[in-house]
Amino acid sequence: MTDSEISLRTEGLSAWFGDHHVVKSISLSVSRNDVYALIGPSGCGKSTFIRCLNRLHEEIDGARVQGDVWISGDSGSENIYAPGSDPVAIRRQVGMVFQKPNPFPGLSIFDNVVAGLRLAGVKRRSVLEEVVETSLKHAALWTEVKDKLKKPGTSLSGGQQQRLCIARALAVRPKILLMDEPTSALDPISTARIEELVMRLRSEVTVLIVTHNMQQAARISNQTAFFLMGELVESGPTSRIFTKPKDTRTEQYITGRFG
Amino acid sequence: MSRRVWSRLFFRNRVENSGDQVFVLSLKIVAWATVSLFAGMLVYLVYLARGAIEALGFNFLTTNDWNPPMEIFGAAPFLVGTLASSFIAIFIAAPVSIGTALFLKEVAPKRVARVVGFLVELLAAIPSVVYGLWGVLVLAPVMRDHVQPFLASWFGPGTYFAQALGHVLTGLFYPFLLIADVLGLTEVTLGTLSEKMMALAQGLFDGPPLGLGLLSAGVVLSIMITPTVTAMSREVLAIVPDSVREGALGLGATRWEMIRIALLRSSRAGLVGAVILGLGRAIGETMAVTMVIGNRNEIPKSLFEPAQTMASVIANEYNEADGLHLSSLAAVGLSLFLVSLLVNLAARGFIRWIERGTRA
Ligand SMILES: Nc1ncnc2c1ncn2[C@@H]1O[C@H](COP(=O)(O)OP(=O)(O)O)[C@@H](O)[C@H]1O
Ligand SMILES: [Mg+2]
Repeated sequence: MTDSEISLRTEGLSAWFGDHHVVKSISLSVSRNDVYALIGPSGCGKSTFIRCLNRLHEEIDGARVQGDVWISGDSGSENIYAPGSDPVAIRRQVGMVFQKPNPFPGLSIFDNVVAGLRLAGVKRRSVLEEVVETSLKHAALWTEVKDKLKKPGTSLSGGQQQRLCIARALAVRPKILLMDEPTSALDPISTARIEELVMRLRSEVTVLIVTHNMQQAARISNQTAFFLMGELVESGPTSRIFTKPKDTRTEQYITGRFG
Repeated sequence: MSRRVWSRLFFRNRVENSGDQVFVLSLKIVAWATVSLFAGMLVYLVYLARGAIEALGFNFLTTNDWNPPMEIFGAAPFLVGTLASSFIAIFIAAPVSIGTALFLKEVAPKRVARVVGFLVELLAAIPSVVYGLWGVLVLAPVMRDHVQPFLASWFGPGTYFAQALGHVLTGLFYPFLLIADVLGLTEVTLGTLSEKMMALAQGLFDGPPLGLGLLSAGVVLSIMITPTVTAMSREVLAIVPDSVREGALGLGATRWEMIRIALLRSSRAGLVGAVILGLGRAIGETMAVTMVIGNRNEIPKSLFEPAQTMASVIANEYNEADGLHLSSLAAVGLSLFLVSLLVNLAARGFIRWIERGTRA
């Protein structure tokens, strides 16, 4: 794999809550246009790991990170934990979708989608309108909401809210999209729509998706990493992980013997 | 009434267990007692004030003179005193309290927040009379020697501020003037309106710095209501789930931007509610205001002048009042009651109006 194909690479990434070491020296690389699934039992550190990739983990009182995360941008590769690196700038390149849909209350659908653009200083109405349309189309929500863009984002159903959050993340054209169990709070139909959406997105953005649903990982990802108690047990092409796992613990997990 | 109707009245939701019946009944009694107390107070105030109401009618509220020896009773000075001192208090306390709440909830480390939050809440435990003493002994001299001369030099008569404020006020009231003019309600012309507003603006920070007066009362009140407004604002901010904060941070918002897009927009109704709660407290506060406001029964032309509030005039004069004087004081009490009620109702309406824009 040449360096230019790599979209994100972690090197010895560790994370703590106080003294509690929850992510243990993880090194992993994600290629451009991968849909990379992170699986593992609850509490094994998947969320913590993914929240280190946009420097959100450090916002929690007493939380700490060690190690490097390289993301490749227009100007080559950049370590987001390099001294002097600005978390705010990082988060504009690495979008995030959370487990629970979290549209901004009090903001309309329109304002929710363009919130990130407005933060970046975009003011032109015509630009904003165009981005709202393309982002909502991307997130497969446009036809449902195009006549009620002024309605509050919180007035939508849970599945629609989650797609709104995806549109909001896509609106700033991130290179990488982090998704932390984006469908675990949703019904099967909404889940299916978001899965389709993720598969379509891979041509434009690198996706890292945490899921505890192994069928989901098998359906939508091309690479999978298995986490256990803060450690990376095994990673590789999804088909291989699910058919010929090298580690017995991976095998036990995917065959449902624990977790 | 038949037993069935009685029991329906008291036990609308059928409760089987007899212990529960007693419990529900006692709750209903307490609830009705509150309502009757409220109604009873209102009726009794009207009864006490009937002399003044019969003799003076609605003029009572608009007459700008209160002179017990001459049997002249107009409550306008107190209405103005109460509203002005309360709004000064809100003007200072609202930004300070909301700022403090945001700092404690969103910026300060948890330990600092706990200590500072405790200290702010401690302010609420200080008795009113102690605030009054502090106002007289500490605040008033500082206001007289430093704050008021400073304010006079920047905002006093002849300053650009006074000039500009006069124009702004004229602009603000011009639409009302037009409406009143069309309805044939007023003789005032644009020229006289502008003159009046200019005089008001020029006079706002005019006069000798006395220390005791409207402005000092407003400052003391602002400190007294800060703990209430801060505590309420913190509660309001606590309702916003952390996931919304993280959503904003995850989009690349700075802390301030996060506060703006994720918090203020969604909590503005609650924050307005917090401020109005403080306003309600300020309107009714008596002891400290009575000690600091200077107690002069005239509409003040300047924030530096002594004034009188509805609460303070009652406290000052109740002891030696009788006849029409006493009943006029009761009428002042009734007005205070109604003003508080109006402020609360207006607040509710306002909050509902904001919420309509916020929610589905
Ligand atoms: N805010 C927090 N404070 C302290 N400990 C936490 C916090 N969030 C998660 N943890 C702990 O960190 C570990 C990893 O959690 P997490 O990354 O959420 O796991 P996963 O997403 O794989 O279920 C767990 O043991 C959990 O108890
Ligand atoms: Mg998780």
